[in-house]
Amino acid sequence: MTALRGWRIFALLGVTAVFACLPLFLPNDYVLQVFFRIVLFAALGLAWNLVGGYAGQLSLGHVAYFGVGAYGMAMLYAHHVPLWLSVLFSALIATGFAAIIGSIVFRLRGPYFTLSTIAFAEVLRLSVTNLPAAGGAIGLSTPALFPPGAFWKMFYLSAVALAFVSFLVNAWTSRSRFGYYLMAIREDEDTAAAVGIDTANYKLRALMASAFLTALGGGLYGSAFQFIVPDSVLSGEISVQIAIITMLGGAGTLLGPVVGAVLLLAASELFKNKFQESHLLTYGILIVIVVLVLPEGIVGGLKQLFQRKTKPPASVAPLAATPAQGGD
Amino acid sequence: MPRFLTDFIQACMDGLLTGALYALIGMGLALIFGVMRIVNFAHGAFLMVGMYVSWVLFDKFQVNPYIGFLISGLFLFVFGYLVYRALIQPIRDRSDFMQILMTTGIALILVDSVQLKFGADYHQTIIDLTNRPPFSFGAFTLNRAALLSFVIAGVFIVGLQQFVVRSRTGQALRAIAQNREVAPLMGINVTMIQGFSFALGIAMAGLAGGLLLPALYLFPSVGEDYTLKAFVIVVLGGMGSIEGAAIGGLVLGMTESITSAYLGQQWALAVDFILFLLVLSLKPSGIFGRQRA
Repeated sequence: MTALRGWRIFALLGVTAVFACLPLFLPNDYVLQVFFRIVLFAALGLAWNLVGGYAGQLSLGHVAYFGVGAYGMAMLYAHHVPLWLSVLFSALIATGFAAIIGSIVFRLRGPYFTLSTIAFAEVLRLSVTNLPAAGGAIGLSTPALFPPGAFWKMFYLSAVALAFVSFLVNAWTSRSRFGYYLMAIREDEDTAAAVGIDTANYKLRALMASAFLTALGGGLYGSAFQFIVPDSVLSGEISVQIAIITMLGGAGTLLGPVVGAVLLLAASELFKNKFQESHLLTYGILIVIVVLVLPEGIVGGLKQLFQRKTKPPASVAPLAATPAQGGD
Repeated sequence: MPRFLTDFIQACMDGLLTGALYALIGMGLALIFGVMRIVNFAHGAFLMVGMYVSWVLFDKFQVNPYIGFLISGLFLFVFGYLVYRALIQPIRDRSDFMQILMTTGIALILVDSVQLKFGADYHQTIIDLTNRPPFSFGAFTLNRAALLSFVIAGVFIVGLQQFVVRSRTGQALRAIAQNREVAPLMGINVTMIQGFSFALGIAMAGLAGGLLLPALYLFPSVGEDYTLKAFVIVVLGGMGSIEGAAIGGLVLGMTESITSAYLGQQWALAVDFILFLLVLSLKPSGIFGRQRA
C-alpha cells in the first residue's frame, strides 16, 4: 500500500493541480461534462473502495446513499434550507441511513450481505417512486449549485475536490490501524474477531464514511443534471457501475478506482454510438474478463507482476485469494 | 359469505396461481444456490432468455407458448450447461464475491445482447386462451391461462422434487452438497453432475419463462426483478431445501397478490424485499426451518 510521504504528496498535489487546470483547455461543455462524470465516478469508486475494497464487503446497494444525497438536497432546499447546507445535511442523513442499514446487513455474510444491500436500495427506489411527497415517478427538479456562466467548470472542479478528499481518506485508510483492521476482516472475518477486532463496529464505520462521500457525489450529480427521477439516481445500475469501476481498476488499491473510472467511462463513451442503448454489454464483457484473467483488477495485477519481478513471491493476496467461506 | 372474505380468498387463489411459477423459478435457484452454493445473479436473465425463445417460436412459427415453453426449457438446459463449463466452472472455488461479479457480468451480457438483437420494444403475446372469459365458480374467478400454467408448473415441481430425491443423479448431487471432498471418492463425477445440475436449474428458469410469457409484457430487462425474487424464495424456504423453495414460491405469490389487493400493485415488489430482509434478520434458516438438504 502506498504511503503518503515525501515526493508522493507532491505527486498527488501535482496531479490534482493538473486536473484542476484541465477545464481551461477543454474545448466545450460536452467534453467537460464527460470529464465531470469520469472524475465523479472515480470519487464514488474511491468511496466504495472503503467497504468493497479494504473491508471486502461486496455492497451492490450504494445507489441508496447516492440517491439520498441527490433527493435529500432537492427536498431540503425546497424546504428553504440554504443550498450548500442542504448538500451537507443530506450527506449526514445518508450517513445516518448507513448506520441503520449497516447494523442490519453487516450481521449477514457473503451473498446474503450483497442481496440485502440490493434489497434496501430497491425498497428505497420503490418507495420514492410510489410516494408523491418525494416527487413519485415524475421526479423532482434540483437547485443549481453554480451559476450558469461557469456551470460545468465549477461542477468539474467540485468533482475533482471530492475525488481528492476521497483519495486522502483511502490513503489514510491504507496505512492506518483502522485500515489494517478492515483488511483483516476481509481476509478472514472469524479470525479477525477472534483476535479482538470489533468487526461489526469497523465495518459500520467504513460504510458510514463511504456513504457520506457517496451522498456528496449524489448531490453534485443531482444538481448538475438539474432533474432527478428514481430511475436515474436510485437505479441499481449505478450500484453495479460503482462496484465494477473499482473491481476493474483493483479493489483495495489506492489507484484502482481512478484507473477503473477512466477506462470504463471512456470505453462506454466511445462505444455509446456504436451500441446505443447497449452500453452495459461493454461492462458485462469487461467484468467477465476481469474475473477470469485479472481477479485483482488492473492495478492489483500490475502490482503483483511488479512484486514478482523485484521480490520473491509476494504475500499480498487481496480479494481473489479469499477462501470461499470455509466451503459453507 | 361476507365480501371481505371472498376478496381475501380470491387474492389468495390468484397468489397461488402465480406462486406455482415462482416455485419453479425458486426451485431452479435452490438447486444452483442452495445445493451447489453457486451464487447465481443471472437467474432472472436466463428466465428472460427463456421468454424470448418462446416468443420467437410464437412470433415466427406460431408455436403456442404452452408448447413452446418445453423448447425454452430444453434450449436453456443446453445453454446453461455451456455457460457453466465456460464461465462458472473456472471460478467454482473462488469467493462468493467473484461468483456474484461473474454472474452479474453474464446477466448484463445476456440482457444487452437480447436488446441488440430484438430491440428494447415491448412485445405482447396474445393467445386465444388469455382472451377467454375466466373460469368461474361461486363468487370466485380464475384466469384460464394462469390455471393452465399452474397445473403444468405443478407437474414439473413434483417431477423435479422426485428426481432430486429418488434418482441416482439426484442422490449424487446431494452427496456432493453434503461433502465435496468425499463424493468423488465414492465414484461420483463431480464436474459432470455439477454441470448437469446447474443446467437443470437454468432449465427450470427457462420453463418458467415460457409459461410466464402469455401473462407479461416482454422486454430485455424483464427478468431483473426475478433474480431478486428467486433469492427471496430460496431464503424464505430455507437454504438448500428444494421442497422449501416450492413452498417459498407459493408464499411469495400469495404475499404479492394480497399486497396488490390491499395496498396496490406498485407496492408488491417493495413488500417482497421487506419480507426478505425480515426473514434474513429474524429467522435466517427460512420460514420452514430446515437448514440443508
